[in-house]
Amino acid sequence: MIQIKEISKSFGGKKVLDQVTMRLDQGEVVVVIGPSGSGKSTLLRCINALEQPEEGEVWLCGQNMATADLNHIRSIAGMVFQQFNLFPHMSVLDNLTLGPKIVQGMPLKEAKDLARALLHKVGLADQSSAFPHQLSGGQQQRVAIARALAMKPKVMLFDEPTSALDPELIGEVLAVMRQLAEEGMTMVVVTHEMGFARSVANRVVFMDQGKIKAQGPTERFFNAPSHPRLQNFLSKVLNH
Amino acid sequence: MTSFQFDASVMLETLPLLMEGARLTLWVTLLGCFFGFLFGVAAGVSRSLDSPWARRLAGIYIELIRGTPLMVQVMFLYFGLPLILGLRFPPLTAGVVAIALNSGAYIAEVARGAIAEVAKGQMEAARCIGLTQAQALRFVIWPQAFRAMIPPLGNQFVISLKDTSLLVVIGVGELTRSGQEVIAVNFRAFEVWLTVALLYLCLTLGISLSLRFLEKKYKLVQ
Repeated sequence: MIQIKEISKSFGGKKVLDQVTMRLDQGEVVVVIGPSGSGKSTLLRCINALEQPEEGEVWLCGQNMATADLNHIRSIAGMVFQQFNLFPHMSVLDNLTLGPKIVQGMPLKEAKDLARALLHKVGLADQSSAFPHQLSGGQQQRVAIARALAMKPKVMLFDEPTSALDPELIGEVLAVMRQLAEEGMTMVVVTHEMGFARSVANRVVFMDQGKIKAQGPTERFFNAPSHPRLQNFLSKVLNH
Repeated sequence: MTSFQFDASVMLETLPLLMEGARLTLWVTLLGCFFGFLFGVAAGVSRSLDSPWARRLAGIYIELIRGTPLMVQVMFLYFGLPLILGLRFPPLTAGVVAIALNSGAYIAEVARGAIAEVAKGQMEAARCIGLTQAQALRFVIWPQAFRAMIPPLGNQFVISLKDTSLLVVIGVGELTRSGQEVIAVNFRAFEVWLTVALLYLCLTLGISLSLRFLEKKYKLVQ
């Protein structure tokens, strides 16, 4: 589904990704963890070409992202941002119908039905006419997930989806993500939520200084961390 | 020291004539700002595009206009250009074009600033659901940027309205010109210029108030 081959990327002379290779099969849920500045977000943003790597290749659903029609292929990978990035001048329903209407040319009625079904799925069926500023952070993020799902993506990318939320709102967003994973969605999740990683991920990837330092099936990853840098990181995030 | 006697009745008597001029001033301003808005948005959006050629072209236009006095632009359009083109626009047309080109350059900077103000995350979110850059600008960035543009836009419209008084040099019969013509007949400079000033004030206040109304109407809660 996703193949990342030795990609590198620098910002202002600093290497944020250094020869990263990774693959993801259909239905897999991979959680990427690591200290801030380790390149996790950049790796995620390379998958849907929000960033272009300087070296290496990214393949998504059999297409090379360097040569693919980005406008088309971007909607294959739905993205959820830390800051939600809902469109503030549109109602919740319009946020969801914009993509299907404009990009896929779906008739308005069909787009609205789809949007309502998705809002129901994320538990916000009663908020379709609300505007983003009227919603809590957790609700906004669930709308953002529904907006991405409206494009019927094959992969969902989550960039620290709960980092901007008050602690009591994190659970409702993770619950939606957990449900998606159970339905078989292919997911890449950058997060600091170790509980979520443990219970939902098939595989965990640890990044540090632009490299993948360790990865493995979830159980083994947490119970027998192989790399000293990972042991150190886990002891910090798990014991607080 | 002087035998000057203020005569308010002069103000009332000349008002109908001056109103004619004020009407033309308003028309030149509205037309000029309408086309200026179109030029400005086109140039401002071009400045925000990925294409370096679009950015450069818009940049040249903006610098050219902002770096030269409006008076010179007006004279160049009316007296200079016809020598090359071989045809002369009527003064009114030249005046509207000058105001449009001039306000367009300033509005371009307003538009560019407003687009930049809409967070980068909005463009990314729009691109992620598959919108092209043009679609994202149209459906996501522009509606937000337009709201941010309203207050500075009102400012520019007021400036452009006052700028139309410069069109006196090419003989457009706007408010300032009407004032001159009335004084040539009755020599009541004090009363006439006072009336002209008050009429300008009414017009600029009208613009400010309507823009403030628009601003309230389209206010966006973040």
